[in-house]
Amino acid sequence: MLRFATRRLVKSVPVLFIGSFLLFLAVRSAFDPLAKLRQLRDPEVIQRETERLGLDRSVLVQYVKWLKGFVTGDWGVSVRTSGDVRPMISDALVVTLQLLVPALILATVAAIAVGVYSALRQYSVGDHVLTALAYIGLAMPAFWFGLVLIQTLAIWPQRALDLEEPPFYFVGLHSPGQPHSLLDTARHLVLPVLTLTVGLVASWSRFMRSSMLGALSSDYVRTARAKGVPRRQVVVNHALRNSWGPLMTVVALDAALLVGGLLITEQVFSIPGMGRLFLTSLLAGDVNVLLPWMFVTGIAVITFNLLADIGYGLLDPRVRL
Amino acid sequence: MKTVRIGFSRRTGRAMVVGLVAASLFAACSSDADSPSTATGAPATGAPTSDAPSTDAPAKQGGTIVVGAEQEPDCLDWIATCAGSIWGSYMMQITTIPVVFNVRQSGDDWLPALSSIMASEPVVTAGPPQTVTYTLRSDVTWSDGEPITSADLKYTALQIRDGEDILDKTGYSLIDDIATPDAQTAVVTFTAPYAGWKTLFSGSSGVLPSHILEGNDRAALMKDGYSWSGGPWIIESWKKGESVTLVPNTNYWGDKPKLDKVIFQFTADTAAAFQAFNSGQLDALYPSPQLDAIEQIKAGLSGANVEVQAASGNLEALWLNNASPGLDAQPVRAALAYSIDRAAIVNKVYGPLGVEQPAQSFFPPILSAFGGQDFDVYVRDLDKVTSLMTGDGWAKNGDGLWAKGDVVASYRITTIAGNKRRELMQQVLQEQLNEAGFGVTVANASPADLFGTLGPNGDFDLGLWTLVTTFPDPGLSYAFDSANVPSEANEFSGLNLTRTNVAGLDDLLRQVDVEVDEAARLAATQKIDQLIAESVTSLPLAAVPNILLTAEKIGGPTSINPSEGPFWNLEQWALVG
Repeated sequence: MLRFATRRLVKSVPVLFIGSFLLFLAVRSAFDPLAKLRQLRDPEVIQRETERLGLDRSVLVQYVKWLKGFVTGDWGVSVRTSGDVRPMISDALVVTLQLLVPALILATVAAIAVGVYSALRQYSVGDHVLTALAYIGLAMPAFWFGLVLIQTLAIWPQRALDLEEPPFYFVGLHSPGQPHSLLDTARHLVLPVLTLTVGLVASWSRFMRSSMLGALSSDYVRTARAKGVPRRQVVVNHALRNSWGPLMTVVALDAALLVGGLLITEQVFSIPGMGRLFLTSLLAGDVNVLLPWMFVTGIAVITFNLLADIGYGLLDPRVRL
Repeated sequence: MKTVRIGFSRRTGRAMVVGLVAASLFAACSSDADSPSTATGAPATGAPTSDAPSTDAPAKQGGTIVVGAEQEPDCLDWIATCAGSIWGSYMMQITTIPVVFNVRQSGDDWLPALSSIMASEPVVTAGPPQTVTYTLRSDVTWSDGEPITSADLKYTALQIRDGEDILDKTGYSLIDDIATPDAQTAVVTFTAPYAGWKTLFSGSSGVLPSHILEGNDRAALMKDGYSWSGGPWIIESWKKGESVTLVPNTNYWGDKPKLDKVIFQFTADTAAAFQAFNSGQLDALYPSPQLDAIEQIKAGLSGANVEVQAASGNLEALWLNNASPGLDAQPVRAALAYSIDRAAIVNKVYGPLGVEQPAQSFFPPILSAFGGQDFDVYVRDLDKVTSLMTGDGWAKNGDGLWAKGDVVASYRITTIAGNKRRELMQQVLQEQLNEAGFGVTVANASPADLFGTLGPNGDFDLGLWTLVTTFPDPGLSYAFDSANVPSEANEFSGLNLTRTNVAGLDDLLRQVDVEVDEAARLAATQKIDQLIAESVTSLPLAAVPNILLTAEKIGGPTSINPSEGPFWNLEQWALVG
């Protein structure tokens, strides 16, 4: 297993470098690192910064310089805020993970439960209802569903029960001016996590259902049943275990994309995570933030892919060969 | 006209707006920069449109309020380019940085008013060289107990004049010398006459503490927040992405704040912010007048005091590129103006807020005393359009569009992509202009592209953005003086993006910049308005109203200052009931 993981890891390194170089090229060609300074209309300042940043040198030299800085922890200074980029991204990443991790756990458990239930009771009323709900979940835009949740789980209960404050908060991840507490954080997390979870469950449960149906109709399940293995044991030990692999790949890929892709959920709930940082930096043309941001999300994609491969390998020894 | 850049979500959106730095800034952010503005003839400043604030209720001492902030500033180094966020100014600059002149209401006007750090009105000598002598009070101090002195004025002036990466050097670049004969007296000598001297040490700059900053890296000490203050509040914390907390400055010489704490929580989404306000998570909001905010207010807010201020400092206009084929002729520009029903547009967008009349001057309501009503002749009249166009040699082609030779009167209209309110305006304009024989296509862009590339390069025909005024000074040369047309000569730094070049206008604009005599200045500004209207170099549409929502539990004289924002008197806010 270790050899398999090492092999996958080694293969990931060139992908990361090639990807980062392409990102560097794309960002450099789309944004001018000196755009803000150009508004000052001071040729001396422009010239000085051009030389300091090495913008008068080849793209490859610029990339190597930037990569060296990134690896050594010097991620540069934000054009927008004049602050160090590294803490900006690490802070945002921590915030996003606070939202993402519970959502992924919840969504995975729920998707497996729903998928297995639907597969075991294919074409039953319950399956049809869950299928319909899944399609509704897939069709609902996050920004709209977030607002619906706010209205139904926060505003209405507050009014109906005449509460002083809503049962769940929906601005930020903590109540400002108060010491952080687990309860307070939980009350802030419920709605954004639910917003995120519903879409994921809708998608993954369909995937799980198909995967489970495939497993249930396979020869080894039929054989096990014919040999008198109890149905519950067949479902759990044979069908379910063989259905997790594909789902795990999907979860890993989606999770990687969500590290930088929670823009709408973070916007609706005013959560200062990676998505909002990207949006703010993009609108400001803050190339010094965008580059490491993309690199970090690229690392996330590769890492989660690696984890998926390793996990798949654990579940299905055939892929290790 | 001293202005600052606005960010994306309000005035950000400030911002999020990339604006232009100079004497003033055009803001077209999605949030807007759409800051506050006003419409001539609209409701009186400060007039509440719904329940009035419960200012008569007994005020409590102490307590905390949470205010929703649409925009987070990029930095708190107020004189640097990173500090262009109007929300940053509202929350932390106005409340902690002393100024020489505040902006206060006097009758119907908002005028510079001597601040409480000053012992007397500055003395101006016309010169040459022009000098201004400032005399500070001896008993005003920073939060650490050190007095506010003339050394602070000198430090601030020189930092701005000589510094790099400065947001706005207007006026400061004309300072030849600043003498400090004693701790309370500063004498500023100018290299050239400067009529807008009241903007110095006011508006976007203020006065900085030399005893703390001199000899140190000012940007490093200020950009992420600072623990000192020369105002009624001190910044207790700025948690990036989350909130700003202000607490009273116990050493403040004036009236101390009634509240124990004010928290500004960053709320990026307007709809969620309104729901948070409805649920009591937020106690006050100052939303950009975007369509969704207007709809929310229109739908009604329970337990809220809603104040809509029409007399703001922000003017939304249709900017015409006077160098575009066809638009380089006055009759065509006039015909275009007669094609547009501005009242209908204003009514459609701002009608629910009670603002129904278009602006008739390029001086926004905050500067209405300097302007006139010269644009009121431009009322939709399609017969007049036909007369003007045919008189200039145009005829309609097979597509029903005016054409003259190879030139077809078909224009791009550009604003900041994603600003729903302006996109609605574009749609109405498109419809009205099409009916009058002008082709219009929408070509929106990002703020950076519009103000950084398209505008300076003249690569637009019609533009829709807001002129933001943050200090009541009537200079308009930055936007209309032909010397400020972006060009090689000024390294494309000019802000006359419309390429306005009207005979006689430059002299008047320059007179306003240097004329110290107020009466002569007033006469010149009124002639300017008249000339711009006659030549129709652009077309004012409306001032954008300011909106302040406060929960009923908040008392005190809550009101909007069109220049300093809604928190200009935050120390007087209190919990009531």
